[in-house]
Amino acid sequence: MTSFIRIFFNSLQTGSVIALAALGIVLIFRTSRTTNFAQGSIGTLNAYVAAMLYSSWGLNIWLVAFLSILTAFITGIVIDTFIIRPAARVSPISKQIITLGIILIIVGMLPYLFGIDPMTFPRFIRTGGIPIAGATLTYNTILTVSVSLILMLLIFWFIQYTKWGLAIRVTASDEQTSKLMGVPTKTVTMFSWATAAILGTLAALIVAPTAGVNINMLLDVQVSAFFAGVLGGFQTFYGAVIGAYLIAFARNYTIFYISDTWGNVFVYLAILFFLYFKPYGLFGKKPTKKV
Amino acid sequence: MTSWLKKIQQSPRLQFILFGVLLSSMAILPLLGVVRSSTMSIYAYIIIYTVVALGLNLLLGFSGLISLGTAGFMGAGALGIGVFMNMGLPFELAVVLTLLVSAMIGAFIGLFSLRVNSIYLAIATLFVGEILRQIYSQVAIFGGEGINIGPVRFFGLIELNRSLRPERSLIFLILVIVLVVMMIVAYNIVKSSTGRALMAMSRSENAAQAMGVSILKYRLTAFITATLFATIGGILYGIYFQDAPTRQWDLNLSLFLIAMVVVGGIKSFFGMFLGVFIVHGLSDLFLKDWLGDVSFIFSGVLIIVVILFYPYGTVHIWVDFKRFLKYIKSKIDKRKGVTPRG
Repeated sequence: MTSFIRIFFNSLQTGSVIALAALGIVLIFRTSRTTNFAQGSIGTLNAYVAAMLYSSWGLNIWLVAFLSILTAFITGIVIDTFIIRPAARVSPISKQIITLGIILIIVGMLPYLFGIDPMTFPRFIRTGGIPIAGATLTYNTILTVSVSLILMLLIFWFIQYTKWGLAIRVTASDEQTSKLMGVPTKTVTMFSWATAAILGTLAALIVAPTAGVNINMLLDVQVSAFFAGVLGGFQTFYGAVIGAYLIAFARNYTIFYISDTWGNVFVYLAILFFLYFKPYGLFGKKPTKKV
Repeated sequence: MTSWLKKIQQSPRLQFILFGVLLSSMAILPLLGVVRSSTMSIYAYIIIYTVVALGLNLLLGFSGLISLGTAGFMGAGALGIGVFMNMGLPFELAVVLTLLVSAMIGAFIGLFSLRVNSIYLAIATLFVGEILRQIYSQVAIFGGEGINIGPVRFFGLIELNRSLRPERSLIFLILVIVLVVMMIVAYNIVKSSTGRALMAMSRSENAAQAMGVSILKYRLTAFITATLFATIGGILYGIYFQDAPTRQWDLNLSLFLIAMVVVGGIKSFFGMFLGVFIVHGLSDLFLKDWLGDVSFIFSGVLIIVVILFYPYGTVHIWVDFKRFLKYIKSKIDKRKGVTPRG
């Protein structure tokens, strides 16, 4: 029972990390029509910034978090203006490969900017927790999970109930028409990239204390985020988030109770099987197609 | 002489063979001491990736389907012959068995693709790639870190060992021959009724179906062919390097392979070689020596710039180059006072 609850708390945190990354991927997929393979790398870049600010400059951790979110915002806008926007007419497959180019640039830049030594980043709240049935729910987990949940709820509220959210939704459903209707689609796309970069960076900061700050810190998270998107469906913004929590719980429990080497594979096969019957994910509908 | 040239110009198959003859000079040059033998290894990589890219091109370019699991199938090729040859089977039987296994997985993905589309299909193939990667690194027969294949005996006649220089050159020649054969095979597939059906399917599935193209048959064909090409690429890796690692067949490699197809030029055959050369060869052959560690950044910038300016691939630089020559010629003619004809 103790381990059951401990895994529950862990899964909440991994689920939040995957959900943050997945929401970024879906946001970009809907507004820019591209699969963003660089989501993890962008987050990693800003995690490096955070680690440098914290360890070399000795700034307060909350200030560091704020500053790295600021740099994430800038990264997103720079990538959109200089790389994605000029590629508006490029075919969808080529656009995905452009994000591979972004990965290469970031990976190549990291050793120059931050050196080759691996860095560390501490938890936001170092110690303390609430004991529940033998397991401890640390204050840090409470903080990270609630911050990510509140942030994601805020984004959903924004998309659903504000004028700018409406602009995002119409851009996602048909960019050409919304441009003709006077929606500033360029700005929408730009802010989507900025938001996605912020979400990726938050995911990176939550992972950093356990995974360390290195080039591959978000590799697993990114792949899981793609899977979460497929499980929940790319047509809604909330689908991927629910998919992310489902994957985190399913994976952690199968790894613990069934097999630690094959847990992943079981979950992947189960999702593939599920996908065969619901090809557009949990919340997706079959899009209508004109002949 | 000119009739020969004309013949070559008209027949792509002859062009492929001529290309192979040119490429095989790379096998001889290291023996003469003109180039380093590490250069030959880079060209071996280029040949291996070109074979894989040719198959991926059938999928991506001609059928409009995407796969993020290509690297997994390359791994299947290299590790497959490793496992079967370590069991004591002859090389040929190992190749046949490996191809059978991966064709079966390819057929499975093909069947799956009938239900699932676009990004969902892409990520479904990523699932397969991740599962394969997990299997390679966890199952005991793959030896954890990798399998040592050792000298390969071809048709029970000659045994080639890569640690001996002349024999390594012979292996390189085998790679070139396989590349030329695969180029001709890919060309034949595209020019046959199968190729036309694939292209019809990529434009509009409903229209293709209305014309009597069976989606089931041709999706299966596309996926099985692409996986077979990737597996053959992996087998070539096994033959040349005589060692099969378990950990390098990841999403990044699959993305790189797609980058090669896109950068080279979708729906082109020589474009695949060009794309592999630009994405993989350029950084290994020149950039690492000239720029050092910046080569990563440079490759990234190169991929982005090429896609922005040549969205249909670098093979089309040739067309622009011809146009430029024509322009220069007309300028010169004007200066001479000759009115250009036409």
